Amino acid sequence: MTERILDHPVLGALEPDQTVTFTFNGMTYEGRDGEPIAAALLAAGVRTLRHHEESGTPRGIYCNIGHCFECRVEVDGQQGVRACLTPVREGMVINGGGPLPAPVRDWRKNHA
Amino acid sequence: MTDRDMIVCRCEEVSYGELVDTAGQFACNSRELKLRTRAGMGYCGGRTCRSSVDAIALAAAERDNTQITLKYQPPVRPVHFGDLGAISND
Amino acid sequence: MRDLIIIGSGPAGLTAAITAAEHGLDILVIDEYLKPGGRLLGQLYEEPGGNWWNGIEESRKLSERAGALGLDIRLGVSVHNIEQENGSWLVYTDRETFEAKSLLLATGAAEAPVAIPGWTLPGVMSVGAAQVMTNVHRVKPGQKGVIIGVNVLSSAIAMELHIAGIEVAAIALPKNNRVNGSAAIPTEVMNALLHVSHMAPSAFVKMGSKLMKNEFMKKMGITFYPKNGVRMWDIPVMLRKAVIRIEGTDQVEGVTLATVTADGKVISGTEEVIGCDFVCIAGGLYPLAELAALTGCPFYHIDELGGSVPLHSEDMRTPLDGLYVAGNITGIEGAKVAMSQGKTAALSIAKDLGKDIAEASLSEAIRQISSTRSDAHIQFHQDVEVGRRKLQEYWEQHATGKRNILV
Repeated sequence: MTERILDHPVLGALEPDQTVTFTFNGMTYEGRDGEPIAAALLAAGVRTLRHHEESGTPRGIYCNIGHCFECRVEVDGQQGVRACLTPVREGMVINGGGPLPAPVRDWRKNHA
Repeated sequence: MTDRDMIVCRCEEVSYGELVDTAGQFACNSRELKLRTRAGMGYCGGRTCRSSVDAIALAAAERDNTQITLKYQPPVRPVHFGDLGAISND
Repeated sequence: MRDLIIIGSGPAGLTAAITAAEHGLDILVIDEYLKPGGRLLGQLYEEPGGNWWNGIEESRKLSERAGALGLDIRLGVSVHNIEQENGSWLVYTDRETFEAKSLLLATGAAEAPVAIPGWTLPGVMSVGAAQVMTNVHRVKPGQKGVIIGVNVLSSAIAMELHIAGIEVAAIALPKNNRVNGSAAIPTEVMNALLHVSHMAPSAFVKMGSKLMKNEFMKKMGITFYPKNGVRMWDIPVMLRKAVIRIEGTDQVEGVTLATVTADGKVISGTEEVIGCDFVCIAGGLYPLAELAALTGCPFYHIDELGGSVPLHSEDMRTPLDGLYVAGNITGIEGAKVAMSQGKTAALSIAKDLGKDIAEASLSEAIRQISSTRSDAHIQFHQDVEVGRRKLQEYWEQHATGKRNILV
């Protein structure tokens, strides 16, 4: 489990913020309004954000600043949204992607 | 998981074994190694693995300090077709 | 048409924007992150004398000055291409296309990885990712972590995690392979650390008092370096152990460490597992110069600057008309150097756009870059000044070549 850092010896107390409710893969979570989706999910103990399109291996945040696109999720129907730099908002519907069909590869596996 | 199975390019899931074998077999520079294996050609555009692909290729070929080893091409971020649009006048 | 677009709202971009606005330029600042400040945001370290360098506070100060000047800063906007057309610069973003007479690229740095089996598992993140999660978003990356890669950046961030109450079970080397290079060789890592200790911040001086300034340790070097590491803020810094594998099925559950020889070979039979729920990958920073590369600007690979950098002069001009660079895109250095480069770039831009900028104030700004560099508490590369001189030579060669063609 992860948790929020409420008191920090140098940075001080975490400022209060509005709580928002959103869903990820059909489950309901709460986050701080405007924090990145990835931070809200991590604070709720969710590390896996998607599964690789081909192999299905689980992936989570890697660079956390928008460079690596490993955290890409679908937000309100829009695909390829980076969870690390997209602010979470009330009522957001977020889904992690999974393996995509690869009919050519599957055909070759059975016929080649 | 062995070293050979280790993923180097996370986007295209290209393994260390495949990269080392390809670099050895064809004495590739970085660009050729990328084209042969697809390492660095995925969603992130090679921002994550370019230094690793370079390092593997440099075992076979010397670096040319005046060239970027893996060329950058637009768009450097994935673009939705709907977003390719007009010039703002504001 | 605007006078200037600045891409990147880190220390270089924001300082440039403030300076340029003070000289009356019409500016747009674009950044893909959701807050201004760039890599400055996560920084937190104690300077000699006991003052804390608080990146969030510094970012806030810069943003407030920018706000007071009425600067137009657009966050959450990603640039995917830039082009020069009919003497102006077009900046293509995921929102709209912007146009300006001049363009300043202050896109900073990206993190290079080290490659370790299992590094795609959720819970494995770049060391910068853990820093941002902890200091900026105030969410613990996990309860207990292991950092792979011993260098200036990873040591600084290990301390930041420690301050935030997050347990760092070890900082260890990556396993030796063709990707990881000298970062996996104990003697080379030791030597690199010994060099930085001379100009290090108090965090390093504290570490140095135990490890680096100790003559006995220096003489004995890596051979007698304790196998279980030397403790720095209670975190074992292991120069004789390497992570050979990250363990876990659906997410990180631990790492397997092994003792390595002074030249990085794994000693079989020494494997041990440490349980942890997150792992940081620390392969160092490289200049994020992709946008500059799209323009056809000449590039030079300079190890001391951290990678390939766009050709530029001391006053932050590139060979392309109206294109300028500042900050880590020009080489990996601290935030204060980036700020002084941003100021210099802004003065050059204002001058080139016909504003009345005294030659003396521009040369004073250039001098300040050097003095900031010499006074820097954190130096990412021991020979950064050598790197800067190399680039200056390339610039002079380029300028001479251009003159010859004109003659």
